[in-house]
Amino acid sequence: MFKNNVKMQKNLVLVTFLFIPTILISLFMIYPLIRLVALSFTSWDGLSLTKTFVGLTNFKKILFDSPEVWLSLKNNGIYFVGHLLFIPIELFLAYLLDNRVRYSKMFKTITFLPYMINTVAVACMFIFLYSSQDGVLNSMLQFFHMDKIGWLSDPNIVNYSLTGVSLWKFSGIHIILFLAAFQSLPTDMIEASIIDGASTFKQFYHIVLPNIKPVVEIVLFLNVRGALQIFDIPYVMTSGGPNHASETFTVQTINTAFQYQNFGLACAMAIVLMIIIIIISIIQKKLFNLKG
Amino acid sequence: MEANIEIKKETTINITRRSGSGGGVLKILLFIFIAAIVILPILITVFASFKSLPQIGSESALKPPTSLNFENYKEVLKSTNVFVAFKNSTILVVASVVINSLLSTMVAYCLTRFDFKLKKAYFAIFLVGLIIPGIVTEISRFGLMTNIGVYDTLLAPILIYAGADLMQIYIYNQFLQQIPVSVDESAMMDGASYFTIYWRIIFPMVIPATATLGILKAVDVLNDMYIPFLYMPGEEHRTLSTLLFNCITDPRTSSIPKLSAAAVIVMIPTLVIYFIFQKYIFSGIAAGAVKE
Repeated sequence: MFKNNVKMQKNLVLVTFLFIPTILISLFMIYPLIRLVALSFTSWDGLSLTKTFVGLTNFKKILFDSPEVWLSLKNNGIYFVGHLLFIPIELFLAYLLDNRVRYSKMFKTITFLPYMINTVAVACMFIFLYSSQDGVLNSMLQFFHMDKIGWLSDPNIVNYSLTGVSLWKFSGIHIILFLAAFQSLPTDMIEASIIDGASTFKQFYHIVLPNIKPVVEIVLFLNVRGALQIFDIPYVMTSGGPNHASETFTVQTINTAFQYQNFGLACAMAIVLMIIIIIISIIQKKLFNLKG
Repeated sequence: MEANIEIKKETTINITRRSGSGGGVLKILLFIFIAAIVILPILITVFASFKSLPQIGSESALKPPTSLNFENYKEVLKSTNVFVAFKNSTILVVASVVINSLLSTMVAYCLTRFDFKLKKAYFAIFLVGLIIPGIVTEISRFGLMTNIGVYDTLLAPILIYAGADLMQIYIYNQFLQQIPVSVDESAMMDGASYFTIYWRIIFPMVIPATATLGILKAVDVLNDMYIPFLYMPGEEHRTLSTLLFNCITDPRTSSIPKLSAAAVIVMIPTLVIYFIFQKYIFSGIAAGAVKE
């Protein structure tokens, strides 16, 4: 009798506690995902009641007939490579921070600061820095008698300028993640290696690095996701311009859907993005494990 | 044995000495350089917000303002609805954080304390949620929001923000596993139901984790532009982020001094949260990253 009661109670708790979270995740995550796949095979415009099935037309169009899509992916590639190149630097800085320099706590606070600031506010700050007339960077260049640079107006430069903003904002979170990993290492492990006469580099490469591998993997995964999804920095700062030169894949997806009313194609683009993220993550993980 | 201890002592002395000597100065210089890169854009923006437009053109951006001239701030407060945006952002933050922490603790409680048939599948659903880039599903989620009638209401973002995610459940699980099940059992002996146990024992005991996750969620919600931008286009539903986004295109506020003032206003809430609660933020990130 008592046992039965407990079991009933357990089921009651499970049902009531999991009811809302399950509804939320299925309604706002799983259902949209299924719908995304379904819509990618249609030519729906987002408004009309009829959704015409067009098979693989959208995917074919992306693959063979959309140079602008590939150009935007190339732009995403700049963010990806930029952040990737910064990961060793971030590791190094985190390692220095961990060695308990004086004021390291204060530096930690400062390093993480950009991550906390509103992205639109960050964009505003850099609009001024990059501005071609009164901009801070250009007046610095003038001070050194150098030519002005069209940070946001030169199609060959704009993506690097925007990647710089992204680095400014997101490097801090990586450093803090690495730092957390370093600080979780038992100190006697490092002490033991010093007794064995390992140099700092050897100590780092053979002892520290393998032990923080999971965190490096998380950062690599975050980088793929972040670089391929980057939206607000280019959208706010240049809205994809000049002449589509800084359009990223997501900016283009959103424009295709909401500006050009081509939901079917946009859904197909979203699926392509998802597949790219998954593939790069897998490749990265394989390569990473091969080396380690 | 004695010799061993001797060596250990010496190395500890060496370690402390290493971080204090010559390299230390270089390190501090490096960190000052990094701190400058982080702080200068913010400082320049704050300076610009107190300057007039001619001053921006004529004097160095690094020159502090000669007086605290609040004209730009007054202008921004007059021509935009900052207070409405502030109210909207506050509602979003409070509602999302409260609902989100209740739901995620409830899910974590069920997943750590009970065994049930679909437990593995349940975890898998949340994992899918982590892998699927949020921005991707937005296009198909959009139609759903219109259909359930929450488009252009504050409810739309709340529904999206409130759902538990894998990272939160993971961190709560870590905490809950440290609370011995015998605590639950003895409460049960005293006649407490599972609901009472959750509410009186479990929930109070995970408050440290809730503080961390709640702050991170609050900052996320406060700084997000994309979801409010997409689901709440109405002027009366602007949040701090979308209000600032609008300032960039609005001729009344798009000049650099006024835009800087608007950016400073928008930055303040998250910066206040950050400087007050940074201890919780860092401990939470450490807990989340290291144990994965």
